[in-house]
Amino acid sequence: MINKEVEKILLNVQKPGRYVGGELNSVVKNKNEVDVRFAFCFPDTYEIGMSHLGMKILYSIFNNVPYIWCERVFAPWLDMEELMKERNIPLFALESGDPITDFDFIGFTLQYELSYTNVLNMLKLANIPIKSCDRRGLKQIVAAGGPCACNPEPLAEFVDIFFIGEGEEVDLEVIELYRKCRDKHKNREEFLELAAQITGVYVPSLYETEYNDNGTIKSFSPQKNAPAVVEKRLMMNMDNCFYPDNFVVPNIEIVHDRAVQEIFRGCIRGCRFCQAGFIYRPVREKSIETINNQCKTLCNNTGYDEVSLSSLSSSDYTGIIKLLEKLNEWAADEKVSISLPSLRVDGFSDDILDKIKTVRKSGLTFAPEAGTQRMRDVINKNVFENELMETCSKAFNAGWTKVKLYFMIGLPTETYEDVEGIAHLAQNVVDTYYRCENKPKGKGVTVTISTSSFVPKPFTPFQWFGQNTREELMDKQHHLKDTITTKKINYNYHDADTSFLEAVFARGDRRLGKVLELACEKGFHFDGWSDCFSLEKWLELFDEASIDPDFYATRQREFDEILPWDFLDYGVTKKYLIKECKKAYKDTTTEHCRLKCNNCGAAKYGGGVCCERR
Amino acid sequence: MKDVRIWFTKDDECRFISHLDLNRCMLRALHKSKIPLWHTEGFNVHPYATFPLPLSLGFRGEKECMDIRLVEDCDYNLILENMNKCLPTGIRVFDVTEPEMKAKEITFASFKIKLSSDEANTDRLLEMTDELLNKDEILIEKKTKKKGIREIDIKPFIEKIRIERNIGGIIIYIILPAGSVTNINPLLFIKALERYYSTKIYYDVTKTNMYDKNLKTFK
Repeated sequence: MINKEVEKILLNVQKPGRYVGGELNSVVKNKNEVDVRFAFCFPDTYEIGMSHLGMKILYSIFNNVPYIWCERVFAPWLDMEELMKERNIPLFALESGDPITDFDFIGFTLQYELSYTNVLNMLKLANIPIKSCDRRGLKQIVAAGGPCACNPEPLAEFVDIFFIGEGEEVDLEVIELYRKCRDKHKNREEFLELAAQITGVYVPSLYETEYNDNGTIKSFSPQKNAPAVVEKRLMMNMDNCFYPDNFVVPNIEIVHDRAVQEIFRGCIRGCRFCQAGFIYRPVREKSIETINNQCKTLCNNTGYDEVSLSSLSSSDYTGIIKLLEKLNEWAADEKVSISLPSLRVDGFSDDILDKIKTVRKSGLTFAPEAGTQRMRDVINKNVFENELMETCSKAFNAGWTKVKLYFMIGLPTETYEDVEGIAHLAQNVVDTYYRCENKPKGKGVTVTISTSSFVPKPFTPFQWFGQNTREELMDKQHHLKDTITTKKINYNYHDADTSFLEAVFARGDRRLGKVLELACEKGFHFDGWSDCFSLEKWLELFDEASIDPDFYATRQREFDEILPWDFLDYGVTKKYLIKECKKAYKDTTTEHCRLKCNNCGAAKYGGGVCCERR
Repeated sequence: MKDVRIWFTKDDECRFISHLDLNRCMLRALHKSKIPLWHTEGFNVHPYATFPLPLSLGFRGEKECMDIRLVEDCDYNLILENMNKCLPTGIRVFDVTEPEMKAKEITFASFKIKLSSDEANTDRLLEMTDELLNKDEILIEKKTKKKGIREIDIKPFIEKIRIERNIGGIIIYIILPAGSVTNINPLLFIKALERYYSTKIYYDVTKTNMYDKNLKTFK
C-alpha cells in the first residue's frame, strides 16, 4: 500500500519501486485483526536487504502466526530520505505504508558494522527515540540480531533486546512473552527483565560495566537476575527446521535475484580469520530429500529460474554430487539452473563442474586468502598452490578465461614476502593458462586479484590481534601493486579506512555509544557506501567524544583481558580460541571437523558434525 | 509456433517499476505458469517476449500488451488465469488474443492526465492550460541521445485534447504520437506548463489506448 504523502514524491526519486511494496507473495493483513506489529528493518537499501535469506525466513515464520503482522522496512536512499525529511514523512513499512513509529517491535538485522549508523538513522526517521532509556511504555521494543550481535556492546545503549544465535524459535518466544505482558498490564521494564530469562536473549540495560584505569574492562555484571552468561540459540535438526515455501518476489531487480536454498549451517574448516566459521558451529546439514523438496517448492511458488545453494562452503556438503544429480532430474526440464557459490579451491571437481555447466561462463572466483603457504597455514586455510593451479587448469581447459582471486592483507605475522606472494600466485595462474592445451583459441587470460584489509573479529582465534595501521595497510597495497609486472593481472583493493572503522566497532564496547549518538545527531548514514563514508569525519567525532579508536582497532590485547563479548556463549570456548591462536603463531594448521574433533566446545549441543561417525 | 498477444493493466504499486523490471516480472510469471514459451535459438538462449509500446515509469496502463510466441497451442483462458496467479496484484492480465496488427503500426497513444498543484486551484489550472494551448508554439527542452538538449515545439504534435474539471485539479485527455517513428511523452506537456507558469505540478498519467495511423484502435 502506498501512503498518499509518499506517492507524491515517488516520481522524484531514483528507483521508486524500492518504496512501494505490492510484490508477489508479500503479506498484507488487516491491522485491526493482529495483536503484534513487527517492523523487520534491514539497515541498507531495498536491493541489498531483499537479497538476505535470514529476513525471508523470519518474515515467513512471523507471518505464519495469525496474531503477528511482520512488515519490511529498508533504509531510504539519500534522495528519498531528503524528501521524506523535507515533508515530515516518517519511516514507513512497505506492506501497510504505515509509519513504524508505534509498532510493537522494531527489529534490526545486523549484517555489518558499518550499518550501525543506518540503524540509528532509521529510528530517527521513524520518530522513535534512539536511546533505550528514552523510550517508554510497552511498545517500540527495539530488537536486533544477526552476526554482529555477537558483539552487541557498541549498540547497548540503543537496543532493548538482542537475539543471540539463530532466531527461528527465540524471536517467537519473546513476542509471545510481550503479548502476555501486555495482557497483564506489565510495564516495559518488567517485560525486559522477564525476556532476559529466555535463553538466547540479551538485555543490555540489565548489565553494568566497570573499567580499569588503562581503559580495559574490570567487570561486567548482571543486575536483576539476568544471567551472567548468555547462551546462543540454534536449530539442531535442519530437516525439521522451518524453511519458507515462498519468497517475496521483488518487482525491481535486486542484488541476488534468485531463489536461495540453504543446504547446511556452520563450516567444518575453522579458518582462523572467519567469524562465521566459529559462531555457527556445529555444522548441521539438511538431507538431500529436504533440499530437493524445498528447492522444487520454492521455484514453483516464486517463478525464479535459478536456485542458488547457500552455505559457507558448498563443496563440503557430504552428498554434494548426489544432491546435484537429484536436482538435475527435474531442473533442466523446468529450465531451472542451479548455482553453487562459495566453492573452495579444492572443491572444484570435474563431477561438480559437469553438473553445474548451465552456469554462464562469466568468470570464476576463488579465495586463496593469502599468497604464501606459510601465511595460509597461519590462517588455517588448508589450500595448496598446486590445488589452485589444478583447479584453474580444469577451468581453463573447460573454456574459462577469467579468474578472480580474493586475498586479505594485514593478517597476523604477515611479512612483505607474504604480500609479494599474492602477485606470484597470480602470475602462476597466468602461466598455468598458457600451459593449458585446451585453452580457448585466440583468447588471453585475465586474472583479477582483490585484497581486503583484515579486520579481527570477536569469537575467532585472532580476536586479540591489533589490526595493522592504515599506513601499514596502504604500504602493503602499494607494495603489491609494484610487484605485479603484467597487464594480465588486474589489482583491486578495498579502502583501508573502512576496514579501520569496521575494526573499531567489531571489537568495541559500550563507550562507543557516545560516538554513535553523535554520528546520528550529525546525520551520518550509509557508511558502508563510498557515497557517504569519510574517515576524516569519523575521526572528528571520536575526538569530540574523547575516545581513541586505536584502543579498539590497532591495540594488541592480552589473553587475560576481559573482552566486551566474553559473557556470550557461542559454543566455542575461549580456551579453544587461545589454543588456536597460539598454533597460528607457530604456522601450525588444525584438521577440519570431519577429520578430527579438536574439542572446540560446540559438541555440547549434541548434534551435527560433532556426532557424525569419523 | 504461434504468436499470442497478452493484454494487461499496470497500476497501483506496479506503476513504479521500470520497463526492464516489468520485462523480468513477466518472464518470471510466464515461467511460473508453465506456459510453453518459444525460446530464442542464439548464443544466449532466452524466452521470447516483446512489448509493442513500453510504458514510462510511473504511468498507469489500462491497455498494455506483450507479444509472446508459443511452441504449442494453449488455451487462452488458461494463460490468463495462470498468469494472474503468478503476477503481483498491480499487473492484471485481462485478455489474450491473436495479434491482428503489427507492433510497428502503432502511431498514436491516448492518455488521461490528472493534474493538481499546491500553488494553483482548478480554475487557475484551467486558465493556464487554455492559455498554453492558444499559443502559437509550445516550446520545451527535450534531451535527445544524439543532439543533447534542444528546444522543440510540441504544439503540432497534439493530435486531440480535451480538458475537464476534477476535484482539486483538472483532467486532460490527450492523443499524442507514439511508437517507433515519433514519440511524444505527455510529460513534455506538463513540463511546458511548469516552465511557462513556474508552478510545481503533480501529475498522475494513465495510458488508455494505442492507435494506428488512422486512429484505429490497435489490436
